[in-house]
Amino acid sequence: MTLKTLLLASGALLGSAATAAASGFQVNLGGQQNIGMGGVGVGLSLDQAAMFYNPGALAMVRANGVQVGANFALARGAYTSENGGAQRDLQHLLVTPFNLYAAFGKEGKYKFGVGVYTPYGSQLRYADNWEGRYSLTEINLQSVYVQPTFSYAFSPQFSVGVGVTMLAYGSVNLQKDIPLPTGPGHITLDGTTKFQMGVNAGLYFKPSDKLSLGISYRSKIDAQVKGGSVSYAGLPTGASAAAINRGFTATNFDATLPLPATASVGIGIMPTDRLTIGVDASLVFWSAYRTLDFNFSGNNGNAGTPTPANTGLVGGSTTSTSKRYYQDALAFRVGGQYKATEQLIVRLGSAYDFAAVKDGYVTPETPDAGRYIATAGLTYQPNPHLGIDASFQFERFAKRSQSQADLLNNGTTDRVAGTYRTDIFIPGIGVRYSF
Amino acid sequence: MKPIVKYSAPALALLGLALGGCQPNIDAPAAAAGSADFTSYVAVGNSLTSGYSDGGLYNEAQATSYPAILAQQFGKTGKGPASFMQPSFAPAQQDGSGYIKLQVVNGALAPVIPSAANSYLGEKLAATGSVLASGQLQLAAYSGAQPDNLGVPGISVLSSLSALTNGLAPYGLLNPFYERLLTAAEKPSKDYVTYIGQKTPTFFTCWMGNNDVLTYASNGGVASAADPFSNLTDTTRFGIGYRAILSTMSKRGTVAGIAANIPNVTGIPYFTTVPVATVIASIKANPQLPNAAAASLYITTGTGTVRVATSADLLTLTAQAVIGTASGTANPFPVGVGYSATQSNPLPSKYVLDEAEVAAVVARTTQLNAIIAKTARQNKVALADMNTFFTTVAQQGVAFNAVSNTAVFASGNLFGLDGVHPTPRGYALVANELIRNINNFYGASIPTVNINEYRGVVFPQ
Repeated sequence: MTLKTLLLASGALLGSAATAAASGFQVNLGGQQNIGMGGVGVGLSLDQAAMFYNPGALAMVRANGVQVGANFALARGAYTSENGGAQRDLQHLLVTPFNLYAAFGKEGKYKFGVGVYTPYGSQLRYADNWEGRYSLTEINLQSVYVQPTFSYAFSPQFSVGVGVTMLAYGSVNLQKDIPLPTGPGHITLDGTTKFQMGVNAGLYFKPSDKLSLGISYRSKIDAQVKGGSVSYAGLPTGASAAAINRGFTATNFDATLPLPATASVGIGIMPTDRLTIGVDASLVFWSAYRTLDFNFSGNNGNAGTPTPANTGLVGGSTTSTSKRYYQDALAFRVGGQYKATEQLIVRLGSAYDFAAVKDGYVTPETPDAGRYIATAGLTYQPNPHLGIDASFQFERFAKRSQSQADLLNNGTTDRVAGTYRTDIFIPGIGVRYSF
Repeated sequence: MKPIVKYSAPALALLGLALGGCQPNIDAPAAAAGSADFTSYVAVGNSLTSGYSDGGLYNEAQATSYPAILAQQFGKTGKGPASFMQPSFAPAQQDGSGYIKLQVVNGALAPVIPSAANSYLGEKLAATGSVLASGQLQLAAYSGAQPDNLGVPGISVLSSLSALTNGLAPYGLLNPFYERLLTAAEKPSKDYVTYIGQKTPTFFTCWMGNNDVLTYASNGGVASAADPFSNLTDTTRFGIGYRAILSTMSKRGTVAGIAANIPNVTGIPYFTTVPVATVIASIKANPQLPNAAAASLYITTGTGTVRVATSADLLTLTAQAVIGTASGTANPFPVGVGYSATQSNPLPSKYVLDEAEVAAVVARTTQLNAIIAKTARQNKVALADMNTFFTTVAQQGVAFNAVSNTAVFASGNLFGLDGVHPTPRGYALVANELIRNINNFYGASIPTVNINEYRGVVFPQ
């Protein structure tokens, strides 16, 4: 299967990439079997999704195969202003992170493969007229990585793997209201990212039938938008138009969003043939995300004859910068599977993701918090070649509050004071075919 | 394989939807009155307390006076006032004294003052047609019971206690905003301290003293011989007056309340919107002016000296309309008012608060604020340092729920079109700062308001 056909196949699923399902706007939904086990996988070689969790383990995956999985994430978010008033609920959206892998090679020796997955993303739409409307009304952030991978086993105990991660598709759509003296206007920033590459590499060590160890590292990719579009709605058209609209001339923007590196270690324990237990720890290097900067350009003529001085303005300024100051975020995961019969495998798992966003820095686009995760899954294998994997993941975010005083102290008044609470429900289904 | 996906995927999505119906809930922030009791709240003060905005007192702005916002927020503690009465105008006269509007003049937005010539901008005024002894238009009498918002535009500490002027200036006959609240019998004799003493609140706010410096400052440091309240108030009489007001309201320290001090008036848009440097630059660039490069802006100082203006001098908002106009003397335009020291008129003193006058105003504000702080302590009430608060706002603005608000004239959202008085949003900001201080002093947790829900200056659509 060529890269092109894989992309075409994935295109059918690409409604929107994901809602953030790990710290920050990371999405740790690499493979349906792994999801059922709390998202572990670095120390395991379950299936072709090893390409995502630990490319080093791919050579140890038993069969050649093709697999595809999709998740249906439903985020339920609530916000209450520090000033009281009605609770504002996120509008209900369904987002579908997906994964797709194909690998072949010589069993126990080497393997080539390619994976397509959605490692970062977020889609949120806030209630109409909510208190934070001038910070954000809606965001849709998508990323699709394509990762050709090669894994080689030096011995039955030790294998390595390297994948080239390619940001094949990325898009950002940010919308917010603008506080004009004549009433609220609206601005939409929309753009797609440039092609970028990174690496995903790992080592896998299996000293005995009952124990395996893995370590993996996925490098940072900067998602760069060049020449994204800026559009406005609700600017005045009457008496105040000349005075107000001259501050809104930009037609394009540039911005860069880091998709941070992730380092993980994992252990697999197989006490019996039927039972597999995985434990993972991973560290996402979110501290790379310091500020979100926009540079505006272009001139729509709102300020009269275009001059360098009146070009590229949004709210009278050619740039905008917003503090993020994310912190590196740890995650701990544990999960197990039990092979009840030759046809049926059942799974359970749990995880805790620490918040990437510091206190007083929470923004509406990523209402991040420490999150408790519980998962379950099962596999039905009608024959040795075919596996149907179902998974379910539930995430409960800790309640997160920040006050106007916090925002003033941190210089983060471009967001809102109040309390956020989010739950995410993610059912998923996948199909594996091995040969 | 395919049929299984086809049937199980929607089933799973349904499962998710069913679970997704579980919406997380957040408890509303708790509100409590602490050791204070807001069941009867009275506000004492001047125009800032009355809800005066855009150069006038009118119902729409009065509805969002900071005392009205406070009363509303006090109510959330469960120990708020059952009602809070403001002396509003009759619906047919809802625009009260009239107020300045932003309109298109010669193709650009400009503040327009209501006058007979522009049919009072179509406003529904409450003028009776009579003129008071002060020359101000009489306003229709307020007929309800004594209100809870006792803010009287224009009143100073000096004019609150008739003994301070030996009863020679009966304030109830001079100030239309006070006159409309009094009965015919009360007008010649009842001073403001007596008037506010009729109330028996459980909690009060007192924001007095602004006009003891502002009246002088906004007139460019020119006091009128005919008006005993037009100079900077001396500290002796201010002290006597302020102590009388605060001990009257606190019933000698037994009623809870909060006193707010005097913000430094030199930071308001009235004094910052027309910077000297900008005026001089535009004069020097005026192609119609002979020898424009040699011209500058000449002012008359408080001592009568004529000199070139410097950045330490503050031009009033009203100076804008005067600078460069035909002088009316022997040398009309192009040598307009302020352009020259010798050939024509320098800018009259009342349009500029010169460096020495600025220093005098700032020094007097500091002295009066010391009296306010000491008197608040003596009467065991909280003190809101509005001077420090406003200085911060004037310097860096205040962003709230991602909306930037500044002290910039008109477009900054906080100050109305007279350049002195806040907009409803400015008043909401004042209310929040008072709430913060009340919460600190009385151990209360009164919620603040979302100031973005209150308007800034009204721009025509």
